[in-house]
Amino acid sequence: MTRKVTGGIVCGDLAYEDLNPVDKGLIDSALRRGASRREVMGYLVASGATIAAAGSIFAGAQEALAATPKKGGSVRFAWDLHGPSDTLDPILFTSSLDYGRGRIHYNNLCRFRDDLTVGPELATEWEANKDVTEWTFKLRKGVEWHDGSKFSADDVVYSMMRHLGEASTSKAKVLVADVKEWVKIDDHTVKAVMTAPNAELPIVLGTFHFKIVKNGTTDFQNPIGTGPYTLDEFKPGVRSVHTRNDNYWNTDHEGPYIEQYEAFGITDNVARVNALLSGDIQMMAQLDPKAFSQVEASESAEIFAVASGAYPTISCMLDKEPGNNPDFVTGLKHLQRRDRILKVIHKGQGSLGNDQPVGPAYGADWCKEANDPVSHPYDPEKAKFHLKKSGVSGAELHVAEVSPGLTDICLMLQRECSKVGFDLQIKKVPNDGYWGAVWMKQPMNVSSWNMRPSANIMMTLAYKSDAPWNETSWKNERFDQLLAMARAELDAGKRHEMNCEAQKLCSQGAGSLIATHKAYVDAKAKIIKGFPRVPIAAFGGMEWPEYIWRDDA
Amino acid sequence: MWQMVLRRILIGLVLIWVVSVFIFILTQVLPGDAAQIRLGQQATPESLAALRKELGLDRSLPVQYFSWIGNLLIGNLGISAAGGATIESLIGNRIGNTVFMTAIVTLISVPLSVVLGLIAAMFPGRLIDRVITSGTLGLIAVPDFFVAIFLILFLAVQLGWVPAVSYLSGSEGFWKSVYVLALPIGTLVIVVSAQMIRMTRAGILNVMGSPYIEMAILKGVPRKRIILRHALLNAIGPIVNVIALNLAYLVSGVVVIETIFAYPGLAKLMVDGVQTRDIPLVQACGMIFCTTYVVLILIADIASIVSNPRLRHPK
Amino acid sequence: MTDTTNTSPDVDSSIYDELPDAPPKTRLRLSWVGKISVAVVAFWVFIAIVGPYIAPYHEAFFIEDDLAGNPIDDPSFMLPSSQAWLGTDYLGRDILSRIMWGARTTIGISFIATLLAYSIGITMGIAAAVAGGWTDAALSRMVDAVLSFPNIMLGLIVIAAFGSSIPMLILLAGVIYAASVFRIARALGQDIMVQDYVEAARARGEGLWWIISKEVLPNAAMPLATDFGLRLVFVILFISTLSFLGLGVQPPISDWGSMVRANLQGLGNGLGGGALAPLAPALAIASLTIAINLIVDDISAQAGGSLAGKMS
Repeated sequence: MTRKVTGGIVCGDLAYEDLNPVDKGLIDSALRRGASRREVMGYLVASGATIAAAGSIFAGAQEALAATPKKGGSVRFAWDLHGPSDTLDPILFTSSLDYGRGRIHYNNLCRFRDDLTVGPELATEWEANKDVTEWTFKLRKGVEWHDGSKFSADDVVYSMMRHLGEASTSKAKVLVADVKEWVKIDDHTVKAVMTAPNAELPIVLGTFHFKIVKNGTTDFQNPIGTGPYTLDEFKPGVRSVHTRNDNYWNTDHEGPYIEQYEAFGITDNVARVNALLSGDIQMMAQLDPKAFSQVEASESAEIFAVASGAYPTISCMLDKEPGNNPDFVTGLKHLQRRDRILKVIHKGQGSLGNDQPVGPAYGADWCKEANDPVSHPYDPEKAKFHLKKSGVSGAELHVAEVSPGLTDICLMLQRECSKVGFDLQIKKVPNDGYWGAVWMKQPMNVSSWNMRPSANIMMTLAYKSDAPWNETSWKNERFDQLLAMARAELDAGKRHEMNCEAQKLCSQGAGSLIATHKAYVDAKAKIIKGFPRVPIAAFGGMEWPEYIWRDDA
Repeated sequence: MWQMVLRRILIGLVLIWVVSVFIFILTQVLPGDAAQIRLGQQATPESLAALRKELGLDRSLPVQYFSWIGNLLIGNLGISAAGGATIESLIGNRIGNTVFMTAIVTLISVPLSVVLGLIAAMFPGRLIDRVITSGTLGLIAVPDFFVAIFLILFLAVQLGWVPAVSYLSGSEGFWKSVYVLALPIGTLVIVVSAQMIRMTRAGILNVMGSPYIEMAILKGVPRKRIILRHALLNAIGPIVNVIALNLAYLVSGVVVIETIFAYPGLAKLMVDGVQTRDIPLVQACGMIFCTTYVVLILIADIASIVSNPRLRHPK
Repeated sequence: MTDTTNTSPDVDSSIYDELPDAPPKTRLRLSWVGKISVAVVAFWVFIAIVGPYIAPYHEAFFIEDDLAGNPIDDPSFMLPSSQAWLGTDYLGRDILSRIMWGARTTIGISFIATLLAYSIGITMGIAAAVAGGWTDAALSRMVDAVLSFPNIMLGLIVIAAFGSSIPMLILLAGVIYAASVFRIARALGQDIMVQDYVEAARARGEGLWWIISKEVLPNAAMPLATDFGLRLVFVILFISTLSFLGLGVQPPISDWGSMVRANLQGLGNGLGGGALAPLAPALAIASLTIAINLIVDDISAQAGGSLAGKMS
């Protein structure tokens, strides 16, 4: 029986198997990073475990980790979204299915580790000039494309330039807006020239849209990659089949282990869980919290969860009625029952939010002093006072279920509003067309954000005064300044201070109601092992394709 | 009769054209376009403009429509605005899937419904009639997703007899495919049979109440003979009509079943097309559905004319 | 063997999309099944009217504390108790209360939408049958266009464009199902128009309106009424399919179909973990629709098969 322990707190006498998926992951990651027994035991005891329990947990974790990967077998996985818009063009990746296929088929220049630092992939090393306005990347030698041709700097320049310029249709354009151009130095060296200092460029290049495609590729129906698997079949909205690339360049490990992947989508939440439980698939993304107990009761499947900074949010646009009234926003912030949302809607898989986008999963970037306790705790009296003072008696909230459970969060807010005599109308609209027609247009709307590799990137995307996705239209000069300063700051301590101030400002001033950060919760067959746990997307950041293996192979 | 068939085909062609205009206008009412949906939350005005240009959405509406029609006439269905694949490739294997499923479901459900409907009509108000009618009612009276999930939980997860997802790799033989599709086939048979059984029963009872049948009964013609020779023959028209409409539904309306079983068919494709504002795709699906409907109704009409002497020789 | 081939069939089976049953020839006497069905329908209509006034909770009420006032750790998918007689749904709302509130939404929407479909369909269908010629052709092709178009596609487009308010849902379902009613009404109308009594009325020089109101409508009324039952089921199922696609009634309004959909996961969690949450509203839908159709069956069995039933 899994006890639902959350937020990295272990209590009572537990064995490794009893840990909740997030804690299990934390310990796994620590061990893989090479943490000593002492460190792990220390962490466990500090979180409330008895020495005996900590010992048994540590032993269990080590045993699980020490199991030798086996080669062979195939894996079928089903994600929550698929359709004719499925693509193998990295700059247009949309769903986590696209991200997964991208990881299977291509490589990045740099690859995320579990702690969100980046390590070498197609680039072996990189360095910036003094004022961080130029980044030089040394490329790996001896890498071959699936068609046998040699990987070189031209491919990188081609792939990266697709994100730049007015005619680019890239979805990640904003992340590299400060890159002026990419220059080939020699066959295995490239240079990015920036318009502004950016110490985080390598981190950006580890994200999903920055996969390296072959120079000149325009047709992405059957593209060529350098990744651990070659493409057998790709039918958008139907499935894709990938076979192991025995010529794969990465010799750091024995992988890729799995013989063949078949990827498709089962959009219905209930059906997806049942497909896993009946053994028709081995991995499924996006487990509905309502189904936790069904999976926990299963003998063949288990929950795979990674704590993350992803969050669903309700936005009050500060430049429109009624969001332009600070008392109105403050009142609503006080009506969020954060603990209740975490418990009932996320079933405990997540952490409390503080109306700003950075959560504890951001590690050192998260500022405890600024966020714990939250700046607007649940307080109906205060809420009533502020709402009354605002003179607003009702509002309309546009909701699309862009993140599972988001409508329910709004319903809870509505219920709390009605308790203090405020009339919050909920208007549910279809998901399709939502981002263009409703989001950032209606005065109150909702959205959902994945975790980004750093607090700075996250806050820049959604809260910088002139950011195209500044969803609450919050403008704060000091905040913008802090973001720019932190980006150029190499001293960790000073950066943390800047982060703290920025988070405090955002939590006080912006129009976001961020009650919770949710863990990425997926499910898999117990026999599939070896997952990395990068918290920036479902299933450990989609870093698994070349690492996982079947225990029954 | 041939004249009628020819006229119907002409009307059908006009209908298909009207539907294509209808779809085009309807899709313009929708908020957002393919570029907007594709870029979603990550859209910036710049990247939107670039993608619109790439997809040809920056052209005026009549130009977009006529370039689509022009391409269609030379047999080019166009490129999906949502993902860049050709419409042929998207529709290609899904048509096969849809036809396969429709055929199997029809082969099972039509004989089943006619027989059960007949039995119910033979003993109206008796126990067997009650069992059949309330049984079928019970099955259509709950939403199909409920029936589907119930069957999955019971037959696939608990008992492990059949797969929970209808995942075909394309290399399976006929019986293997039927096995893999057992659950969606079963669910659909339940959904469409219920209605066909009711209609067969109602159709026959309707005829049974008519004076000439009562006359035959009073004359002492055996029951079997009355039902099979007179009542059934006269009820064929309406029954075939219901079957035709159910077939059209199986081709275009089974989005819930396709979604739950992850079976790549046309209905889900069309829903995806609408949701991604993929006009070429929606148009292509619309054409297919409309043609199916026209052909099926035509067949049903011919069948009722052939089976009914009075219609064969109109006054 | 009696030769029956010369008994030329005297009944016209024109093209209905769903054939209605024949009108009763005697005064209606319901069987015990019929009587129970009437009771069930009456029960639900009663609940639809008074449900919101007698329900233990408001439909949007979240159960947060137990009866003693202590906060409940996780109130979702609770088992039946004295606090929530049928247990709670996935968010911790009382299922019984939501079914009682939902009766009004579900029965209201489906009833009004079916009525709407009937008024549009019958008006146009009879008009087409009586007028004939171009009017008939134009109306029939229009209806064909609607019928050849998958319902769900129309639903998706209309809701994406205009939102899913309750009047919108009623209008949508009404228009979609009007097309089917049109086909039945038109076929019946054509049937009746060639009957001797209508021709006699015409010969007498009666006006068109007189013929429609005094001859056509009364004779088509019973078959159309019996089709009503099935149509009502289709509307309920159509709305629940929309909620499957996330386009149903606006939350927190409860409606039986959406309740089944939203709590469907409970079925997988087993009886101890919330199976009642989707089962209870599913049973509500089933009991209502089965009862309505059993009444219809009862009428048609008596009317159509009175003699046939006696043969054994």
